Amino acid sequence: MMRIVIALTLLLCLLVAASLAFGDVALTWRELYHVATGTDAPGPQDAMIVFDLRLPRTLLALLVGVALATAGTISLAIMRNPLAEPGVLGINSGAAAAAMAVIVLMRDPPVVLLQVAGFSGAAAMALAVYILAWRGGTSSLRIILIGIGLSSLATAGTTFLSAFGDIGDVQRAMIWLAGSVYDANMIKVRLLALWLVIPVTLAFLASRELDVIRFGDSSARSLGQPVDRVRGGMIVLVTVLSGAAVAVSGLIGFVGLVAPHIARRLVGTASHARIFPVAALVGACLVVAADILGRIVLPPVQLPAGIVTGLVGAPFFAYLLWGRRNGRG
Amino acid sequence: MAVDKEFPVKIAGKGVDIDYGPRRIVEKLDLEIPERRFTALIGPNGSGKSTILRTFAALMKPSGGSILLDGRDVMELSTRDVARKVGVLLQGPVAPEGLTVADLVRLGRYPHRSIFGRWSPEDQDACDEALMLTGLADLSDRALDSLSGGQRQRAWIAMTLAQQGEAILLDEPTTYLDLEHQIELMNLITRLVAKHGKTVVAVLHDINQAARYAEHIVMLKDGRITAAGGPETVISSETIADVFKVKTIVIRDPVAGTPLCIPL
Repeated sequence: MMRIVIALTLLLCLLVAASLAFGDVALTWRELYHVATGTDAPGPQDAMIVFDLRLPRTLLALLVGVALATAGTISLAIMRNPLAEPGVLGINSGAAAAAMAVIVLMRDPPVVLLQVAGFSGAAAMALAVYILAWRGGTSSLRIILIGIGLSSLATAGTTFLSAFGDIGDVQRAMIWLAGSVYDANMIKVRLLALWLVIPVTLAFLASRELDVIRFGDSSARSLGQPVDRVRGGMIVLVTVLSGAAVAVSGLIGFVGLVAPHIARRLVGTASHARIFPVAALVGACLVVAADILGRIVLPPVQLPAGIVTGLVGAPFFAYLLWGRRNGRG
Repeated sequence: MAVDKEFPVKIAGKGVDIDYGPRRIVEKLDLEIPERRFTALIGPNGSGKSTILRTFAALMKPSGGSILLDGRDVMELSTRDVARKVGVLLQGPVAPEGLTVADLVRLGRYPHRSIFGRWSPEDQDACDEALMLTGLADLSDRALDSLSGGQRQRAWIAMTLAQQGEAILLDEPTTYLDLEHQIELMNLITRLVAKHGKTVVAVLHDINQAARYAEHIVMLKDGRITAAGGPETVISSETIADVFKVKTIVIRDPVAGTPLCIPL
């Protein structure tokens, strides 16, 4: 466990350094070191690029990765379905519909409003799914089915708006939805960090509840767990975490799905107290890496991180299933 | 919190109605579970025996009447309080891949631990005892998926034992086990009752198994009790013809001396 955490932390540090160095103006490691330590009179331009442009972007990617991975780990446990990810709760489609509506229906909406709308859309959808799935109690299967149903409804709404909206607006919306950490600044980073502290801590403290709830409602209840209350609380955490991630970065797919699976592979399924930190590190690495790749693959075009995670995540997921099929599950 | 030995668990249902959707499965059921005895619930498919077990375990809410645990209505107790007194093993429980026997048994301590509670020596003792009673001490580091069906079933029972309640409810614990493991499990239950003072209630499919091992048998048909008592009084060719619609003769088991029914 310790070795895995240390290895992942080193990997993350490496990726962060790479993220600070790579881009249109590539820095050598030596230059990066001088910029970071402020020694040997670095060019003011280099310092500006690293501290004002790349650092916020990198940190934002890292935080988004942590949020998505934590939300994904919770979803996997409470839904007891290997394909369950926060998107199942309608969070992505809700955010997408709300963002599209704001961009298309309003003239030049401020970015803040876009983020508020994204988060509200996500939260509203999660709430609607939970309420509709409630029938004297919840069941994970009902939540999944209703989530899928409401998601397609919201997606239809998004498509409708994009079909009738101004072409420029629609394109802007699509770029936002593609998921990128492109327009990051330190204020955004600080806000997201503050926002995430409480839900991430609560999720970690609730590890033991997740260890129990994934055995299924009856088993968990027979062990004395108030299943509906725990699941409700966990859905709130998922919404707060991934809603915030979607609001600042758009839709970055696959991280919430893949990070917990990788973490389980690395530290076993026994305890969420072990899964959480590893999943968070994996998620951070994934999004930071996706952002780097998006910057260097097709310069000067910057591929949104969400597209890269999809491109890299899908084959990886196939590999995961392949491994399982061949008995390494 | 240790269970108070002065007031051992008493489980009883009074006027219990159970609905499954719009359909009433059980009506006005009165059922008392004798403490420190092995009670078997038998009856044909659809007789409501599993539903009754789940309701007595507070996993389902009765539509009418009440389930009493130590004289208190289980619906007024928290699920945690119920779990400290009653352990339940349902049919076909599924554990996450890769989980070890020890991991599973540790979960049995869930109702005894607070959110910030650390793993205590009592928790460890309860788990060690549960593993010892079920003969799994040597297998505690093995993954559940790698065990035989019988060993896995014992691991789940060990989890309910780690809860340290005085009663254990088992839904068809022997189904899908081969004969050797069925006998092994029945002997484990008998031992838990005789040596460790547990109250065990099990839904069983095999009438002869119930007659041989259980001390108290409750025979159910369409959600009603048709006969209850010791094997001698409950198992007869008349009751079996009435409840199971099968003609049988009942003889004395030449080994155990209990009733043995043989279909004609």
